[in-house]
Amino acid sequence: MAAAFANPVMRRLLRVPPAYYVFAVLLVVLWVARPNMLNLNIMGIFVRQIVPLGILVLGQLLVMRVRSIDLSGGGVILLINYTISSGAFPGASMAFFIVLALAIGLAVGFFNGLMVGVRRVSAVIVTLAVGIVLVGIVQYLSSGKPPGDVPGMFADIYNTKLGPVPTPVIFWVAFSAALSLFLSRTVFGRYVTSVGENVQAAHFSGVPVARTVVLAHTLAGLFAGIAALVQTASIAVGSVRVGLDLPILAVAATILGGVVFGRGEGGVWGPFFGVLSFALLFVVMTTFGIDEPGKLIAQGLIILLAAIFYGIRQRSS
Amino acid sequence: MTAISRRLTGARGSRQGMWMLPLLIALAVALWLSLETAQFLNGENLLNLVPQAMPLVITAVGQMFVILLGGLDLSVGSMISFTTAVLALGGPAWVLIPAVFALAALVGFSNGFIITRFNVHPIIATLSTQYILLGITRVLRPVSGGTVPDIVISAVAGSFLGVPMPVFWGIFILAVAWKLLYGSRFGLHLFAIGGGVSSGVEDAAHNFGIADRRNIVLAYVICSCFAALAGVFLAGRIVSGDPNVGLLFELDAITAVAIGGTQLSGGIGSLHGTVIGALVMALLANGMNLTNVSPFIQTTIKGAILLLVVALQSRKKMGL
Repeated sequence: MAAAFANPVMRRLLRVPPAYYVFAVLLVVLWVARPNMLNLNIMGIFVRQIVPLGILVLGQLLVMRVRSIDLSGGGVILLINYTISSGAFPGASMAFFIVLALAIGLAVGFFNGLMVGVRRVSAVIVTLAVGIVLVGIVQYLSSGKPPGDVPGMFADIYNTKLGPVPTPVIFWVAFSAALSLFLSRTVFGRYVTSVGENVQAAHFSGVPVARTVVLAHTLAGLFAGIAALVQTASIAVGSVRVGLDLPILAVAATILGGVVFGRGEGGVWGPFFGVLSFALLFVVMTTFGIDEPGKLIAQGLIILLAAIFYGIRQRSS
Repeated sequence: MTAISRRLTGARGSRQGMWMLPLLIALAVALWLSLETAQFLNGENLLNLVPQAMPLVITAVGQMFVILLGGLDLSVGSMISFTTAVLALGGPAWVLIPAVFALAALVGFSNGFIITRFNVHPIIATLSTQYILLGITRVLRPVSGGTVPDIVISAVAGSFLGVPMPVFWGIFILAVAWKLLYGSRFGLHLFAIGGGVSSGVEDAAHNFGIADRRNIVLAYVICSCFAALAGVFLAGRIVSGDPNVGLLFELDAITAVAIGGTQLSGGIGSLHGTVIGALVMALLANGMNLTNVSPFIQTTIKGAILLLVVALQSRKKMGL
């Protein structure tokens, strides 16, 4: 096996994030099994559903590039969905809800960042614990019952289209492009890369390691807030379960897209295709009649296989 | 006084971690409960406390082995649900019970193997195991139901020589864990491997000639088997299989281990600390039930405790 990994052609091929291969394979499977589903209108609807995940992944890839992880996104989405749909702010404007959501996301992200970057607590435990604290608060406030409806203006914006492409999808692509530019053109982007490559070397080269980690987590929290707004608009009602499986999917899509702890070779577009792969995977699984347990197993296997793939490759190089 | 402070800070107890503080907390919680509620010091409630605490004690002790070497096993909650689902499949007990432990050993082995041979981070490896096991459990048993073998029920609910069975479970668990941790070469090596990891020299133990991979795999196998044992105990209490019974159990177990003074970065910790930590969690749960705290806010409180405990531990490594 090691010999195959040493071959130059194989090495070049292995440097491509697995997301692209998985995406291509799933596209072929769908084309063979259900050719009539591959048109822009149907695909637009499927991709639109996955936009909240896509935005959450942008935050996830940021924290994973600085060797951290954020599993609190589900709690953030649930809390924001609850505050918007509970009717606690009757007659509030759209702008108020947006500011509120972004503030909640920023606050949670900043707290995560302080705990991970300054207190140096294990990121998994901090963000998992923050996630359950938020979920517990929402369940307590709502007594486990789904709250009311989401103001209609959210759904109105969500349902608009530009030509055949839904607006949320365009927003996602534009957001990803902006983040990609941000990471490649700014000093902060360089800091993220250097902290990911080697924390100690970054520290001794004068990179503000703690500040970079705090900022990465704060941005991830902000992105989770934005993802929560899109998710809330997409389901249009309040829920006490919405978004709980998104953090783990975000980790899976990010790893699949070539961003593993500290290694950012997949850039922004690798994880982007990781998300698209999951969109296609769910379509394929639904058409083959595989339900929720099967999806759980598939998520677990994908994370595991992608992580093993990087582990072997890292050892052989 | 100097003897006490030396014992708390000196070299002799330094590998054990701060386990006296949680003991004080446990006593304080018990005192608060006995003053606050009339039901706490009731004989029936005290008798219930042992079987209530037992699954967490078992899982936390298993988790401690993995945490001592600087790892973490997030799959124990799913392992517990999976065990109850397998036990409720229906079939002779002499097949089901060995099968449960064989499967647990297999899961633990695959966790350890993936971590040591493929360089996968323990959290990622066990996180994916958690989801795969949860999926399999939901296939086996989508909603709770089925019946577990009679022998499992009587081994949990019955009594022997007038003493309730859970007491014997506790003695057995502590004896096995004590032997593994303090009476074997494996236990000594655990501290050596974890001590290296926590001080930033990942292969320190390996360089001293300790077979670190084998010991790490063994620790994950032990952790899974303890979780399966907790699953058997819970199956005997609820008399059926339940795909959600182990939900968030991994976090309770990690909290219990951390409260007991075991450092999550590895190398420092003790069995008695872990047991005390699990008892603190069980006392808190019991107290919150007696004082009618909403189960939803209980989750929040447990999460906040975990945050507080891990924030108080310092470590060198940053990130995961």
